[in-house]
Amino acid sequence: MADPVQPSNIAVAVATSALKAEQSRMRVIAENLANADSTAQTPGGDPYRRQVPVFTPTTVDGAKGVAMTQVVADQTQFGSEYAPGHPAADPKGYVKLPNVNPMMEALDMRNAQRAYQANLSVIETAAEMDNSTLSIIKK
Amino acid sequence: MTLDDIPLFATLKSRLGYLGDRQQVIAQNVANTDTPGFTPSDLKPFTLPDAPGAAGSLPPITPTLTSPMHMAGTPASRLKSKPVLSPDSETTLDGNSVVLEEEMMRMSQSRMDYDTAVSFYQQAMTMLQTAAKRPGT
Repeated sequence: MADPVQPSNIAVAVATSALKAEQSRMRVIAENLANADSTAQTPGGDPYRRQVPVFTPTTVDGAKGVAMTQVVADQTQFGSEYAPGHPAADPKGYVKLPNVNPMMEALDMRNAQRAYQANLSVIETAAEMDNSTLSIIKK
Repeated sequence: MTLDDIPLFATLKSRLGYLGDRQQVIAQNVANTDTPGFTPSDLKPFTLPDAPGAAGSLPPITPTLTSPMHMAGTPASRLKSKPVLSPDSETTLDGNSVVLEEEMMRMSQSRMDYDTAVSFYQQAMTMLQTAAKRPGT
């Protein structure tokens, strides 16, 4: 998909690709956090499984940008809780809980935020460099 | 005669080009801070071009397509000097060796260098103008 606005500077294009990737990662984290307590509908069924974003370098304008190419399921074990009255409880009365750890998600979110800020400051610096070049003809 | 014929301006021009390219390489590193197995790269330190029109200053070559059956091939990177792998001080468990702080330092360093080069350019320009002015004005 072509961008409606093509950044003139390659550094800006690369940083933009990273901003998009971090946004998608944020979406995945939000999904995980929102479903931290989502259990199965059927007795003994599997609950929500944590999703992990995968980042891969992609070519942007001949330079190496980044993109979230796929989202894979986290294969770690589910937790379980004794709740015989729950609709998703198995015959022994245990309900499987999602393998989402809110603490991990919070850390991931912090990481995504930091990366987002770093890429924004790359764009800012690139713009400032362009501006200082333009200042030559201002005189 | 163009400004590029004056050695100082030619040097400043290639310096500005180099710093622009470096900014692009740093942008790649920052963009891939969370890519597993990624090793950051950097440009080799700036060296003066040997002579105008030396091999390093040639634009990338693209083949001419004379038939629609020809393949365009992958265009060469637009960078003039080739980036070399330069891992930062730490490598995480997923094999990524980008340290955001170090990249930010490199970035502001090259930005400061860029500003220096630009103001140098302006100074040289003013000097030229002074020299070209009619005497007594």
